[in-house]
Amino acid sequence: MSVRGPRLEFAVGAFLLLALASLLVLALASTNGKFGFGAHTYPLKARFTNLGQLRTSAPVKIGGVVIGNVADIQLDPVKFDAVVTLAIDDRYKDLPTDTSAGILTGGLLGESYIGLQPGGDEQALKPGEEIAFTTPAVDLIQMVGKYMFGGGGKTATPDASGTPSTSMPSSSPPPTSTPSTEPTP
Amino acid sequence: MPFIAATRSLGRAGLFSLSVLRASTPTRDFFAELVREIYKIGARSLPIIAVGGAFVGLSVTLLGYRALETYGASNQISALVGLGLYRELAPVLTALLFVGRAGSSIAAELGLMRATDQITALGLMAIDPIAKAVAPRFWAAVICVPLLTGFFCSLAITASWFEAVHVIGIDGGTFWQVLKDAVDFRHDFLVALEKSAVFGGTAALVASYVGFHAEPTVEGTSIATTRAVVNASLLVLMFNFVLSAFLFGK
Amino acid sequence: MTADPTAVQLSAVRLERGGRAVLDGIDLVVPRGSITAVLGPSGSGKSTLLAALTGELQPAAGTVEVLGAPLPRDSRALLQRRKSIGVLLQGNGLLTDLSVAENVALPLRTHTDLPRAVIDRLVAMKLHAVGLRAAADLYPRELSGGMARRVALARALALDPPLMIYDEPLTGLDPIASGVIMALIARLNASLGLTSIIVSHHVHETLPVADRAIVIANGRIVFSGTPAELQATTDPLVQQFLRGEPDGPIAFDSAARAQAA
Repeated sequence: MSVRGPRLEFAVGAFLLLALASLLVLALASTNGKFGFGAHTYPLKARFTNLGQLRTSAPVKIGGVVIGNVADIQLDPVKFDAVVTLAIDDRYKDLPTDTSAGILTGGLLGESYIGLQPGGDEQALKPGEEIAFTTPAVDLIQMVGKYMFGGGGKTATPDASGTPSTSMPSSSPPPTSTPSTEPTP
Repeated sequence: MPFIAATRSLGRAGLFSLSVLRASTPTRDFFAELVREIYKIGARSLPIIAVGGAFVGLSVTLLGYRALETYGASNQISALVGLGLYRELAPVLTALLFVGRAGSSIAAELGLMRATDQITALGLMAIDPIAKAVAPRFWAAVICVPLLTGFFCSLAITASWFEAVHVIGIDGGTFWQVLKDAVDFRHDFLVALEKSAVFGGTAALVASYVGFHAEPTVEGTSIATTRAVVNASLLVLMFNFVLSAFLFGK
Repeated sequence: MTADPTAVQLSAVRLERGGRAVLDGIDLVVPRGSITAVLGPSGSGKSTLLAALTGELQPAAGTVEVLGAPLPRDSRALLQRRKSIGVLLQGNGLLTDLSVAENVALPLRTHTDLPRAVIDRLVAMKLHAVGLRAAADLYPRELSGGMARRVALARALALDPPLMIYDEPLTGLDPIASGVIMALIARLNASLGLTSIIVSHHVHETLPVADRAIVIANGRIVFSGTPAELQATTDPLVQQFLRGEPDGPIAFDSAARAQAA
């Protein structure tokens, strides 16, 4: 042992300090910072006929800004659609009751997330309430298949229509709970 | 029969581990030993961990970039590096480097203590040799390996940033933003630290067991050192699979 | 309370290792205050006898009484008893990470609540008794063989045990260091009122300081008496051992090889 006594203690102290500092920097600079301290969220529910690639802890975004995440996904045994519980940050308490939710993907290979499109109603969704207007996920393969083999311009079948995965959900009119046709680009 | 012998051996190792935990009492002497061991197995492992981390960061970035380029997703390189590091590479590689450097020295030191009658002397002085010699090393490993993993990650990510931004040409802001979005604090960062703690404890227990029970000869010590490294490395890899399956299974 | 005149008493003790009897029919009485030399060829069972004295090995038959009471089997009680038995091991057993002073202080710090200053004083005393007060801050790897042995002796004496056991104390020492150790053993035994048992095969260095000598060979005690009687004995077995002759009642080769020859 070449180091002893007070020098040993200094060396160990320095090592520990350096290590803890680097862990702190790592935690702040390379993670999403969801330390879970101020985990103040309230739940909202939404039903979808098709979740696509959506998983729990997927983000919930409005206009690209993360405001919460997916807390739970269950299948309704009666109606056979997926009931998704969203955990929305308490800061965004006043989502209008006519807010719509859609399942979007970030880029062609990105992960699925839920995009909320706030409506204009004066009343706000209360914790635990269900979002009335939802759009299911787009099944790309089915859609491509239909375009390739079904000819362009035809109206898509109910399962396959929906907002195509772009970053501008606001381009489509607020969808009702039964998917509507829309002009193909 | 080798199977029975192996099971008995496993049982002995398990009992040994239990006695290590039982013998861990927080006395002043224990903390003095703990500090000494943290220096020996932690601080002195720093160079190999740091260098290893830097090169792993560089390699993964380079290879990952090639792979992502074909999908036009090269901006995601930092996510690939970050997630790969935190979830698998950092805990496993740090643990293996630790086993090689500190695990072998723990086994060698304990084997030497056995060969020079230090362990017998402790017993005859009515001092529990496990409390005095093994427990401090175990806890030092449990504390140090997560810290070393943190170092590994910092060096690896820094090296990756350098490679990605200054050599390959990814935008610096994108690099950090994609990284931060991809890595979850709870499920990736903390998991890496938890895995490391498990690996560190395992490595220390294996090395201590083998060294403590070595034949009290020079050959015994050298055999113990080799066995410690081999067995500890294998256990780390096995536990890594178990932990990953458990944590990332769903 | 009358002082028990015997420090160690073995009655009809049979010691086995791995199912095989190493020693059998051992009757031994060690008077308090005496220095007893336990001599014998290598492999004769001296270390086994020592293990029985420290409680490491339980006798297969007979009783081992140390300091007036049988050695307990319970490990906790045994640990307590071991505090009154000082052992000097062949390998010294000095902890490599601790300095000389810290090594000697170890039993004191672990088993007593004495304040730091008192312990430091005691350590200085013990080191002074073995003539190594100046080496207090050295580390074991910086010591010569003889110095290390003396530090181990100081540590064994740290708790002032009434019984001291020396396991091959002269191994690896040059003649001068050997002489120093043996002189120390004799002097400490007298001045501290200890009882000492020296297990050794260095006959000619050990006999001069011993009050009594026993010779172990072929699994039993073949001689028990004073060193003078030992020198004068006519027993061929003992004579072979004393004179270091390869041929005689004590087999030099192992039995199988002797048969094959």
